[in-house]
Amino acid sequence: MTAPLCHPERSEGSLRAKSLAATTLQNRALTTDLFQLTLDAPAIAATLAPGQFVHLRLPNPAHVLRRPFSVSAANPEAGTLDIVYQVVGAGTAELSGVTRGASLDVLGPLGRGWRPPVGTRHALLVGGGVGAAPLLPLAQSLPAADVVLGAQTAARLVGHADFAGRVGADHVYITTDDGSAGQPGFATDVTRDLLAAHPYDYVATCGPEPMQRLVAALARAADVPCQVSLERRMACGVGVCLSCVVTTTTGRARACAEGPVFDAAEVAW
Amino acid sequence: MTINIGGLTLKNPFTTASGTFGSGRELAALWAERGIPLNVLGAVTTKGVSLEPWPGNDGVRVAETASGLLNSIGLQNPGVEAFCAKDLAWLATQDVPVIANVSGHAEADYAAVIRRLDREPAVSAYELNISCPNVDSGGMAFGVDPVAAARVTAACRAATARPLIVKLTPNVTDITVIARAAVDAGADALSLINTVAGLALDPQTGQPVFDRGVAGLSGPAIKPIALYAVARVHAAVAVPLIGMGGITTGQDVRDFLAAGATAVAVGTATFTDPFTLPRLIAEWTHPSA
Repeated sequence: MTAPLCHPERSEGSLRAKSLAATTLQNRALTTDLFQLTLDAPAIAATLAPGQFVHLRLPNPAHVLRRPFSVSAANPEAGTLDIVYQVVGAGTAELSGVTRGASLDVLGPLGRGWRPPVGTRHALLVGGGVGAAPLLPLAQSLPAADVVLGAQTAARLVGHADFAGRVGADHVYITTDDGSAGQPGFATDVTRDLLAAHPYDYVATCGPEPMQRLVAALARAADVPCQVSLERRMACGVGVCLSCVVTTTTGRARACAEGPVFDAAEVAW
Repeated sequence: MTINIGGLTLKNPFTTASGTFGSGRELAALWAERGIPLNVLGAVTTKGVSLEPWPGNDGVRVAETASGLLNSIGLQNPGVEAFCAKDLAWLATQDVPVIANVSGHAEADYAAVIRRLDREPAVSAYELNISCPNVDSGGMAFGVDPVAAARVTAACRAATARPLIVKLTPNVTDITVIARAAVDAGADALSLINTVAGLALDPQTGQPVFDRGVAGLSGPAIKPIALYAVARVHAAVAVPLIGMGGITTGQDVRDFLAAGATAVAVGTATFTDPFTLPRLIAEWTHPSA
């Protein structure tokens, strides 16, 4: 049993959030349905911590809800935010049509990001599909990490070159369901083997919730503190509407305020 | 020019739609980045509060529709004691009138919440939620029956001398019948409308997206329904009306005031743009700007 890494007080992040008009610097297709959006948003890039998110307003006003996105890179010097997203519905389809130079209304940074235990030396990061994106800035911030990236196919893998550049190619383990890249099978199989072979002091995971749940169980069995990043349908993004709640051991918590990163031990799966 | 809502004096006709603004702390922090104080609002209408804590609904809680939003939050709230200790204590420092939105499973629950809140000087008025489609007992069950609406209104009227606003549902055959029942039982003002009952299905399974099936539709999609309700109720009763339902633009505000509303509330548009209310207030204050 691992000790809770934090207490569920609300984020200071949301209370520092800014709303601004960001210029689209780039919005390019990585594969058929994965895109990378780069925004000029210096006031947000300056303070966004790994694992926090931004809330984007879509150009068509028929979309009354903003869309929350993880940030795969915040560059305070350049003032830019990178967002990797998968087209899954009408909102992301519209976003994929946004062109360079277009202005997007961005709210952020929001929520609480990754909180590795003080003194973390060797972490294990497990990303599923586009869920790998918020693990990239975490990898940048840690002294050493092994990274497991799982996806359905090679075309759904996100960030493998960036992770390799950060932690070394031989520390990046790739799995695909169909075997089109890396080892055939699931990220959780490799996670189990790595946890057995190495004394990690922190596990962080983001991706499909069943995968995260299994990673959390494996980490718990290995007695390694684990954090998960949970996705919920969200309306306000700042903690008022109670749409995005996660059931925890101490009651309902808001993914946008107490999360999206939670201690795995406090999530009532 | 001040606005009078059944004895509640506001400096402008703008408030928040309950449940879309919490108690204001989060939005106030965001507005402060642009130097906008919470008390630009005529009043803050708080998230619904019940006697005991309510956990809210399981499963999916929101889904977007064309120009609209379906929600099934289920009035999650920490109960009146926590509301007083945390939310009201903070609101008391904000120099803004507070309309406390009150929910219950039974008549006695509503009255008990009001008796407790009547000890709090920070509360200026009450809004009775007898119109939420997202809870099984209480909520909309009171708002679709004129006898039940009158009884709960009368019970709350007996519990307070403060202005009493009753929030009505559009999910009835004739909203003027419910409006008259509430006014005859002692309502000083009416809020209309709460969300419109709606259904969303999962395209993969054909099954309801929301655990309770029904959810409440809000946003620009329901503005004509709300405007019609305001116009009809305005013709039927003499009390002030707070109009709400899809208000997003200055023209929407003018439409509701023209239809007979004395004040307006903004809800879903705050999710789309958290600065909607300050923008509308600035536009209303300086129409030429």
